[in-house]
Amino acid sequence: MKDMSYSDVNKDVLRPLFTPDLAYLAVLTLTLIVLALGGSCWVYQLVYGLGVAGYHPPVFWGVYITTFVFWVGIGHAGTLISAVLFLTRSRWRTGVYRAAEAMTIFAVMTAALFPAIHVGRAWYAYWLFPYPNQRQLWQNFKSPLMWDVFAVSTYFTVSTIFFAIGLIPDIAAVRDATTGFTKKLYTAMALGWRGTDRQWHHYMAAYGFFAALATPLVLSVHSVVSWDFAMADTPGWHSTIFPPYFVAGAIFSGCAMVITLMLPLSLLFNLERYMNVWHFEHLAKLCMFTGGILTYAYFTEYYIAWYSDNQYEWGTFMDRVHGNYWWVFYTMVFCNCLAPLVWWFKKVRTSYIGLFVVSCIINVGMWFERFNIIASSLSHSFDPAGWVYYYPTWVEGGILIMSFAWFFLWFLLFIKIMPSVAIAEVKETMRPPLKFEPEHAAK
Amino acid sequence: MSAAVPLDTAATKPMKAVYAHMDCLMTGIANLKKAGFTDMMVMTPMPRHEVEDAVYEGEPSPVRWFTLVGATFGLTMALSLMSLTSANWPMILPGGKPVVSLPAFVPVAFEGMVLWASLFTLIGLLINCRLPATDLPEEACDPRFSSDCFGIVLERVSAHDAAKIREILEHSGAIEVEGGEGGGHHA
Repeated sequence: MKDMSYSDVNKDVLRPLFTPDLAYLAVLTLTLIVLALGGSCWVYQLVYGLGVAGYHPPVFWGVYITTFVFWVGIGHAGTLISAVLFLTRSRWRTGVYRAAEAMTIFAVMTAALFPAIHVGRAWYAYWLFPYPNQRQLWQNFKSPLMWDVFAVSTYFTVSTIFFAIGLIPDIAAVRDATTGFTKKLYTAMALGWRGTDRQWHHYMAAYGFFAALATPLVLSVHSVVSWDFAMADTPGWHSTIFPPYFVAGAIFSGCAMVITLMLPLSLLFNLERYMNVWHFEHLAKLCMFTGGILTYAYFTEYYIAWYSDNQYEWGTFMDRVHGNYWWVFYTMVFCNCLAPLVWWFKKVRTSYIGLFVVSCIINVGMWFERFNIIASSLSHSFDPAGWVYYYPTWVEGGILIMSFAWFFLWFLLFIKIMPSVAIAEVKETMRPPLKFEPEHAAK
Repeated sequence: MSAAVPLDTAATKPMKAVYAHMDCLMTGIANLKKAGFTDMMVMTPMPRHEVEDAVYEGEPSPVRWFTLVGATFGLTMALSLMSLTSANWPMILPGGKPVVSLPAFVPVAFEGMVLWASLFTLIGLLINCRLPATDLPEEACDPRFSSDCFGIVLERVSAHDAAKIREILEHSGAIEVEGGEGGGHHA
């Protein structure tokens, strides 16, 4: 960025805003159609009840909980990149963190649909939150499911505040570059931001605190999600390895999704100066690191199951390899343990095709990982009389596809409404314009 | 920051200097402070620690107190909510956990602490930054300050000081100095 000026950054980042081209409109239309089709599957389920999902007693957690965990996991990379890497002063985060943060929020918004879809009567979802009510009932705060409600809603709220605060100076830049009604709209959203010393002084202090508050959240949210499983005595779930294993998996899948989304974004909107191979290679390295932890966790799970000499535990783990879900298990191993190994070759992790293809494979693998944990354990629990083969129906498939359309819809709207790259932070990493060289300026 | 020189506010006018270079801006700030004109507003398109150090001289932001109060409030709120509602419905659940079971309350207490700390930090930010800012002088609202220029605005410049301030700003390398007595002037 040596040859760039501050005004170039404004021009580059604001260029993709507002004016949708034909390709964008075509993708948006396709997304809306898929959303409508998938949404109609949900409507069908609301009308006919949960019987249209493929639940086989005792398997009552299936695609919906799998997809919930998948999207919560995706939502981890954004805050990791924006908060953790902010505190560790990693310069490569600057170009990608805004879009990654937006992705986090949209992923959590998508995840939040699934508990409501899963319980069937979605209109009672507000019962999850504590408030004085005529039923004189309160939530059971000792339940990990209740912990999850608080963990995910807190994560969403804090991530949204962090995202919105980060946007304010850039919204002011959009305001100053627009006219008419658009200007009025962005003037209201910029809250009168003018970049005064007072504003920056308190802003930077608050931003540091938000980063410090969001950092333990990244670790806590998926730990709490893992306790949804680990607190139960179901074979294959009741393990202390779950929190670190889930957190590593969440960062792994989240970083892969950041690559899947940012790579086309950078190429289609000419943002390669801000998001390029250098950034994606760092993300790939983060995936390799967390993928290594994940592979180690898979081995450890099997080792502990064998070493425990518990027939139920070992039976479930063997069933994952040889039973009805063998194909799920091997898909997971291929996508999460083997495929990312090609990134050890610099040539692959610095090629756009190599990055994109492997990141997509990881996304698929991480969905199957959650399905492997949930469906195989419940369908092969303590009592052989309860061993069943749960498989999803077309309604569950439709709702799964709907979740992707819902996520992409928000992301598509975001890239046309808000700056996808943090203008102020990019400028912060650039050398400021100087009239004199430092030794002269000192005099 | 308070003005070092007593001013007759009725006879004051704002003055704005626009800079294209960081080192010139820093010289302008330093020279104004040296001459006793400390009541200034500095605009930059991005946060710069040297500006913060020059203007605030290491004075920490009070936002941190909002965070601390929020965290304490959130922790207390969450623990009280869980304990009191559990005591209100004293059901011994399978597993034999006590009605008020502190280890089981740790996750929600932690989340409550972080949630309220964030909300209070947000309030602290808005109050201290005075957002939404509706009373900033017109001179501070230059679109160049969100793009590629830096600025210094002195809201109250008396006729007596105008010439001296103008000289300091122009001498420091401002590309444009406007306002004060005698109207605008391009350097």
